[in-house]
Amino acid sequence: MKISPNQNAVIPSAVEGPVVVLLDANSPRTGVPQARGLHEMVFIRGVEISWFWRPAIAKSILTAAVLLTSATAFAAEAPAPKVIAIQGGKLLTVSHGTIENGVLILADGKIAAVGTAAEVKIPAGAQIVDAKDLTVYPGLIDPESNFGLTEISADQMSNDLVEKSDEIMPHMHVYDAFHSETELIPVARLNGITNAVVAPANDDSIAGQDIFIQLSGRDRDEMILGRDIALAMNYGADQRRRGGRGAGNSSFPSTRMGLITQLRQSFLDAQDYVAKHDADVKKGEKPKRDLKMEALIPYLKGERPVVIGVYEGYDVEVIMGLAQEFKLKVILNHVTAAQDVLDKIASYHVPVIVGSIYEAPKAGERYDAVYTLPAELAKRGVKIAISSADAGGPVSSHSSRNLPYAAGFAVAYGLSFDDALKAITLNVADMFGFGDKLGSLDVGKIANIVIANGDPLDVRTDVKQVYIQGVPIPMTSRQTRLRDEYSK
Amino acid sequence: MHLDRLLPGCLLLVALSATLAVAAQSAPADIVFKNATVMTASHGIIEHGSVWIHAGKIAGVGSDVSAPSSATVVDATDMWLTPGIIDPHSHSALDSDVNEATSPVTPSMHMIDAFDNRSADLYRALAGGVTTELLLHGSANMIGGQAVVIKNKFGLDRDAMLFPHAPGSIKFASGENPKRVYGSRDQLPSTRMGNFEVMRMAFEDAKHYMADWDAYDAKVKKGDSSAVSPKRDLKLEALADVLRGKLYVQIHCYRADEFLTEEAIAHEYGYKIRAFHHALEMYKVADKIAADQTAIATFSDWWGFKDEARDAIPWNAVMSMRQGVKVALKSDSDDHIRRLNSEAGKMVHYGGATEDEAIRMVTLNPAWIIGVDDRTGSIDVGKDADLVLWNHDPLSTYARAMKVYIDGELFFDASAPGLGATHFSGVMHEGGFGSYDQEDGQ
Repeated sequence: MKISPNQNAVIPSAVEGPVVVLLDANSPRTGVPQARGLHEMVFIRGVEISWFWRPAIAKSILTAAVLLTSATAFAAEAPAPKVIAIQGGKLLTVSHGTIENGVLILADGKIAAVGTAAEVKIPAGAQIVDAKDLTVYPGLIDPESNFGLTEISADQMSNDLVEKSDEIMPHMHVYDAFHSETELIPVARLNGITNAVVAPANDDSIAGQDIFIQLSGRDRDEMILGRDIALAMNYGADQRRRGGRGAGNSSFPSTRMGLITQLRQSFLDAQDYVAKHDADVKKGEKPKRDLKMEALIPYLKGERPVVIGVYEGYDVEVIMGLAQEFKLKVILNHVTAAQDVLDKIASYHVPVIVGSIYEAPKAGERYDAVYTLPAELAKRGVKIAISSADAGGPVSSHSSRNLPYAAGFAVAYGLSFDDALKAITLNVADMFGFGDKLGSLDVGKIANIVIANGDPLDVRTDVKQVYIQGVPIPMTSRQTRLRDEYSK
Repeated sequence: MHLDRLLPGCLLLVALSATLAVAAQSAPADIVFKNATVMTASHGIIEHGSVWIHAGKIAGVGSDVSAPSSATVVDATDMWLTPGIIDPHSHSALDSDVNEATSPVTPSMHMIDAFDNRSADLYRALAGGVTTELLLHGSANMIGGQAVVIKNKFGLDRDAMLFPHAPGSIKFASGENPKRVYGSRDQLPSTRMGNFEVMRMAFEDAKHYMADWDAYDAKVKKGDSSAVSPKRDLKLEALADVLRGKLYVQIHCYRADEFLTEEAIAHEYGYKIRAFHHALEMYKVADKIAADQTAIATFSDWWGFKDEARDAIPWNAVMSMRQGVKVALKSDSDDHIRRLNSEAGKMVHYGGATEDEAIRMVTLNPAWIIGVDDRTGSIDVGKDADLVLWNHDPLSTYARAMKVYIDGELFFDASAPGLGATHFSGVMHEGGFGSYDQEDGQ
């Protein structure tokens, strides 16, 4: 069967014969990576075999395809299985415990039922997926990524990480740069990452506004579930870029005093802008819009969260002072050198993204001072998320696939398994306003599901199948194609 | 394997240990680990196994060992015992002095001269079970300089941390880093063509230098009293040592075409390449490189950080291993060095390595790359008692190194108060070379 790129095709693993997806060079299917030099992709039983697709064998495969498809009488367009029943697996619901020998029904992209084999009736005509001896859990959510903002870290032309011209850039929108065809997405998806927050890099005090994405979809608009969901802020060490640090630098800001003053002035300006704007409107005038000031308004009103990247304890105290002054709705990020103020962090009653859990402690501190941070915060009742960030540098989503292992590391150092899984699923969804749609196996939620052959947080575990919005995702990436090409 | 070196050594030590067991009463007390899951790295996994340490060496391993009753017994029930983790590619504890990037050929630079034995990097690696490291130059230069091998006896003085009589290694590089460092200054090399020609020119100089010395030696031998000794040149002497096979050649190299070029140049000038480091495209040409008996020290799953890492795949290690290449995983990072055990665990996932194969990638195989596999890297009688006791399967995400022994002595104990570093006191230096492949010094 052939599927043209402008049809809303999914690649059902249930289809027996080869499925050929024609790729239009000008509009490659998002989420299905385009093979090098190929204009079509070939799937058998949902497994992409494009690398084997050679003119010499094309004819015979096509002949077989015609025979198979005519024999099984498939329509020209392959419909997604309407209803999928995943049965026999161990369900890690995240919200209501573990269900052994469970049944999960996916219908119309949502979770339609979840429970034990005795409780859930499998609808007639459902495609049955046998998950015996397998573990089933909600898709993982990376709370801080740069998907679509980078491709090759060292290749500047492939990077749109942050606008460095000024420290205060709230009017930068990640959705304007998000490159949904990035190869990083299929790579991460294979390890069960189905959603992520995409944020700019941390060079600015206010770097811009984040998006919340689904790691599959035909194009950018299908993949972005939420625009401008949070304001990316940073405070501490790395934002005094233009001024450099300390004496001898001529441009403002060059110290923490400068950074915090600049931030305070920006929020005051925005308040002033609102007042003036409202007054002008009252007078019947049409004030000129200031996009930078306008961008801060929802955050001043506390309608959406600001994510504040901050490392040191004393920096946490300073920036929280400012956040409280302007009544910002805060999510703290990193806090990897803030062990001395954990009680204070708990007293703020704000959620915290911990990462990188692999960040080095200071010289002279115990080796596990950061490894134990998630457990120490959870113990104090803080709602935590764990990010996939690596130590010693800006977050890079090339390693987003290692998100579950970061959570596993937190378990090794005292966090409970349930809290760890929650920290990369439901807690992230909650923090960013998607708690009613994602993050757990509950009826009505988007059917982003992972089936694996064991403990999701263990490095040895193999993810067998990922479903996004109830659709089985081809378990392929450019990397699997290279593997298969050179395994011949 | 150095079977020629390993076998007689083992036999001798087996005999010696039997003698020592009786004789050495004044040595530190013997230790016996009982009821551990012993991952030997050389001869499989022993459930409920025992290991006996005597006089800093492994004196017995098996279901039972004949340790004296005076030995300290460590109950290792529900615990795992592995050889010490070995990192064949580290830039820790060098205070970022890893590149003399003032010329693309600097073979007489010695890493030992930059080694900071009080660096916090060493402590954190020790807490991750790392007992031996090869501290290498960076990759700014085509020929960077000579490495140093350490035993991670954190807390002891510098000389006590050197791996005694370890073979010398020299670091070469290739690809993007040299061409960027020198190309950005409008100097040679700025292309891969320039990279390799810089190497060939250096070896031509070395050959000429060797010929001058050979001629002089011949004259002296003949009794020619008018013979004038050539001037000693440290740079050319080091290159001559490469050509004479006295140094293990360790090459930073990513791309498949460059492995082939490097092997061709090695054949042309008559030296052997011990290992390609990074080696992210080895899976493309592994059968050819296996024939040259060159090993690889690779990342588990890093990719996409630069153009020459575009085709990196996490199956590289296992695919290359299946083609006969000896494979080690390495850190090249002060972060990953702290958890090389679970990096090895990823190989169970990516390609289906057995647990035995996976643990070998961070113990015995890196020991071979460094040239110390006759002394450490596996739990065999006669080898140095470099051992790690884990609270969980070391290939899982959940394992913590609870006790780390080097030469039979406890150097890290997670249950001890404070840092757990049993030999350390005083001031620790901030480490932090940084992360992967920042080794061009930029």
